[in-house]
Amino acid sequence: MNPSKEQELQIDNYLSKFRACLPAMSVADREEIVREISVHIRESAQEPNGSVDRILLRLGPAEALASQYEQDRLIQRASRSVSPLLILRATLELGKRGAQGFAVFFGVIIGYALGGGLVLTAILKPIFPRQTGLWIGPGVFDFGVHFPSPADPVHEVLGWWYIPVAFWLGAFFVWLTTYGIRRFLRRSRQHAPLFARAQMGMVV
Amino acid sequence: MKIMSAAPVEAEKNQPAERWEQQLRKGSLEMAALAALWPGRLYGLEIIRRFEDSSQLALAEGTIYPILSRLKNEGLLASEWVEAEAGHPRKYYWLTAAGRARLKHMATTWTEFSRELGRLIKPVIEAQKEKEEAMK
Repeated sequence: MNPSKEQELQIDNYLSKFRACLPAMSVADREEIVREISVHIRESAQEPNGSVDRILLRLGPAEALASQYEQDRLIQRASRSVSPLLILRATLELGKRGAQGFAVFFGVIIGYALGGGLVLTAILKPIFPRQTGLWIGPGVFDFGVHFPSPADPVHEVLGWWYIPVAFWLGAFFVWLTTYGIRRFLRRSRQHAPLFARAQMGMVV
Repeated sequence: MKIMSAAPVEAEKNQPAERWEQQLRKGSLEMAALAALWPGRLYGLEIIRRFEDSSQLALAEGTIYPILSRLKNEGLLASEWVEAEAGHPRKYYWLTAAGRARLKHMATTWTEFSRELGRLIKPVIEAQKEKEEAMK
């Protein structure tokens, strides 16, 4: 049986909401997904006892359905991207899904904070030359900017060499974090055992 | 005074078991979707109806489409829209060579895994059967 006008409106409202919840993908991809869901609803409605209310209930809220596509695309894009921002967003999603995901997110934060911090101090060295560096003394091994600069016997050991050392070390940590997480995301998508994937929320 | 009925307490007690069952089902859905396409091409609603034939695989319909989309993005499935002479156009899916290879690997792993697990839980099942027979 074809849906009534009222039911058509209900379907259109659902699809509009669904479409609006898929902003982070290309128009072609979005429209293909919306078309498939639209056909599913309309074809199911034509089956005997096909109630639009029941069909929409079984599909779940438009926002929840869209988030399954969005999260999956986000993790897929992050596994191919070098953008720390995208990787952070994807691991934040994993972090919301369980302890293992949170550990991964925490690792990414530490990696980027360490790498970004080193690069930042390399940039700050010419501005605060006496306060920035690698500080060594009895029981002290520290890098960064200190106001006021530490007193004797703690002293700075690298001088102007701090700039290339901190810059390259920082860049190395950022690279290591990015490629480590990309590798993790790819492996977890392709090789993780079925149950582990479910627990990680890869199948939602 | 807050009065709680027995039903929610029972439901809470069953929650970990239900969650485990849910995860078991969800974790195997990807393989089930690939396996449904092993004989040939199907569209989304046909896959859902095929799952509905088995009560263990019955699922919320919103679950299958994102899985199909992901499998397609991973290159395990291919798809095309087919315009129907009457009715709605349908998006048909079929397994790619990579999809067939992945499914074979999954099926082997699953069979070995379930065989080992079956051996481990056999005494539990037997004890349960004996208890049921004794009650009769």
